[in-house]
Amino acid sequence: MDDPITRREAIKKGLCLSGSLALACAAGWPVHAPSEAWALKKEEGFLIEGVGQAPGYSVQELTEKVFDAAGGMKRFVSKGDVVVVKPNISWARAPNLAASTNPEVLEAVIHLAFNAGAKKVRIADNTIHNAERCFALTGAGMVAKKTGADLIHPRSSLMRDMKMQGHRLDIWPVFVPLIEADKVINLPVAKVHGLCELTLGMKNWIGGVGGRRNALHQDIHQSIVDLARFFRPTVTLIDAIRIMVKNGPSGGSEADVAVMNRLILSNDAVAADARAAGLFHVAPASVGYMVLAEKQGLGSLDMSAVTLKEVIL
Amino acid sequence: MKPKQLIWLRRISQGFFLVLFLLLLIQTRFPDAAYQEYSLAVTGEQDIRVGYPATFFFQLDPLIWLTSLLSGHVWIQGFFWAVAALLLTLFLGRFFCGFVCPLGTIHHMVGVVRPALKGKALIKANQKRGSQKIKYFLLVAVLVSALVGLNIVGILDPISLLFRSLALAVFPAVGNGIKAACDVIAASDIKPFNLLGYAAEEIASPIFGYGYPAFQTGWLIGALFLVILFLNRIRPRFWCRTLCPLGALFGVLSRFSMVRLEKKPEACTDCQKCALACQGAASPGPGVDWDTSECLLCFNCFARCPEDALTFRFRWFPAQNRGPDMGRRAVLAGLLAGVSIPFLGRLDGQIHKVSDPRLIRPPGAVEERDFLRLCQRCGLCMKVCPTNVINPALAEAGMAGFWTPTLTMTLGYCEYTCTLCGSVCPTGAIAEISGKEKVERPIRIGSAYLDRGRCLPWSGNGPCIVCEEHCPTSPKAIYLRLDVQTRQDGAKVTVQLPYVDLKRCVGCGICENKCPVKGRPAIRVMAAGETRSVRNQILLDI
Repeated sequence: MDDPITRREAIKKGLCLSGSLALACAAGWPVHAPSEAWALKKEEGFLIEGVGQAPGYSVQELTEKVFDAAGGMKRFVSKGDVVVVKPNISWARAPNLAASTNPEVLEAVIHLAFNAGAKKVRIADNTIHNAERCFALTGAGMVAKKTGADLIHPRSSLMRDMKMQGHRLDIWPVFVPLIEADKVINLPVAKVHGLCELTLGMKNWIGGVGGRRNALHQDIHQSIVDLARFFRPTVTLIDAIRIMVKNGPSGGSEADVAVMNRLILSNDAVAADARAAGLFHVAPASVGYMVLAEKQGLGSLDMSAVTLKEVIL
Repeated sequence: MKPKQLIWLRRISQGFFLVLFLLLLIQTRFPDAAYQEYSLAVTGEQDIRVGYPATFFFQLDPLIWLTSLLSGHVWIQGFFWAVAALLLTLFLGRFFCGFVCPLGTIHHMVGVVRPALKGKALIKANQKRGSQKIKYFLLVAVLVSALVGLNIVGILDPISLLFRSLALAVFPAVGNGIKAACDVIAASDIKPFNLLGYAAEEIASPIFGYGYPAFQTGWLIGALFLVILFLNRIRPRFWCRTLCPLGALFGVLSRFSMVRLEKKPEACTDCQKCALACQGAASPGPGVDWDTSECLLCFNCFARCPEDALTFRFRWFPAQNRGPDMGRRAVLAGLLAGVSIPFLGRLDGQIHKVSDPRLIRPPGAVEERDFLRLCQRCGLCMKVCPTNVINPALAEAGMAGFWTPTLTMTLGYCEYTCTLCGSVCPTGAIAEISGKEKVERPIRIGSAYLDRGRCLPWSGNGPCIVCEEHCPTSPKAIYLRLDVQTRQDGAKVTVQLPYVDLKRCVGCGICENKCPVKGRPAIRVMAAGETRSVRNQILLDI
């Protein structure tokens, strides 16, 4: 660099450089987005069902095995990702009552996410009962402390109006942490529900919004599908270690609980729900939101559309 | 001890107890530690409790001990602290007012930081006056009233008053302001601002409460507190001198105090510096007897006297001080008021005939008449409640029950297994119960009833099962029945209609709180059926 370049040359070079960069961006931009969408569509559906048969099996191990069968957590979580786990911890009930996501499963998933290189893992749910009591009684607070995940206290400043563009829901306040994440893991518990029969993965997104949630019940099935379309998690893991078979979704007695020792992992939200419906001996085709969801292209009720695997421990 | 050291000792003590009071007030909430206890999560049988002695100042307050004993015939938990305070007063005089009382400290600070009077006006204001007898009148009135069966001391007791004012008015007001500001900052699209908003909220929320806490009549509680603070502009420590019944009680007992102010009139130059600094208007100057019962033991006169004409000394019995200047009329009027207040309070028929359907007491509350004998209206239960459902009553409990706790389901609801309110009640007006007992007995606080004209499915306006969904009992007290309804256009639709099973309903009010019909929900809770009252039952067998 012995020859100093003149100012004119410098400006010229700079303009050339920025011009070609802009051109490259302009050229690359429209190609970039659809290619991603294309890739999403082409992603093959899978469904892995983990069953803990051995007495005294480890729930943590089962969770790990189930993710391993899908290609490991690394398939879903990249290095440096902010991962948000959305459990169902809406009811301030002890884990043995199956009203909330099993803390052992929650813990295992967070560990896996951290091991896969997640920068941050957040636990976020807009609870129905008082949030502090939910964190305490469901064990989510304890899990957060043990694993180093952030426990997000749902509050008005974290609700932001967003355009859902659903068939039923247009503008609705959304729980911000679920949007400001690189990856979202849906981690519901399987329960019966008085209105929509079952609350599984897609119904879990009611806990992802704020506002007049209690009015959603007036068109529950379309609302659920709109929410499921809006949130679209990276992956859904339905906790069916204990399921609530009656008196749902709040339960309150061990008599309402059946022990299933199962976990269902899928990247197809509809298939996951359909599979879990089987645990309740409910035909997926009889559940309004599942049928709607398939019709509106969110996934498949038909198990033959996904790669089925079973993991037995 | 040198006078200056004494003054500093007092200031340190005042500061310590004020900070302790505020700390305990802030910690009277759902404890953070409960988030993280694994055993709690797994068994769900352990009850969550506030990890701090939230009731300490109430145990230290002899007026609360005495009125609970006279009125409710109950020895409250930790009453020995109050006995100790009384015994110490016998020897030391009103040390509580000068060294401990957090409300007194606040008055003291207001008077010092922004003095309204100076010079001659201040000297005049610090002269003892007849109105200081009012506190004896109030003391006699609240004690006699307690004896006759209505405990109203909490309205005036400084510890209850301060806790109520701070917890139900000052903290929520400040907190809501901070929260509103945080919300605005957090809504910003500029990331650093955004994060700052969240962070500020994380710090403020544990202190001021999550969400937007609100209490009915909070404005009145706050306004009265401000008035009491402003009274310091008329005379320093107006409240302590003129109105405080606890101060009056200590005044009566300080007659034999061994800490005595000794005057040397021959050394006095009549500079009036003692009168300028006197907090209690206790006649520190020469020529008149020192009023032990008015002296707040601030030691200002001792420290300010340039001629060493005033000294505080220990003197053993039987040296007697000047008795409290109660005045026969004040005592007689107090007696009269004390006897009449409980009967006046019953005139509205709340106690003997019916109770207001909206008077829903916290879970574990004792029967209404006993409740009014014990409740101090201090606001501890209201502060600790995680859902903000417990509110100071305006008219629900009648005149006698003004500011006693009542549950307002539009603000919150009673969490099914939560028993925090009873665990912090200083007098046992709300008994401490376990979550297990609350669920299994069960302890009902009322019962829900449907307003079919407003209910969405009942009125043919659409499907809704929100009340049933939230009902926490197992099996649910709210159940659904399928029914076919004919719409306006003649179309037949199948709907699920909610019904309430009174045998299962505990009155927790979550149905009312979550009902999509706002303002006046389609399902509401009334007091009928509450466990604590034999008369207020609905069903024959329960």
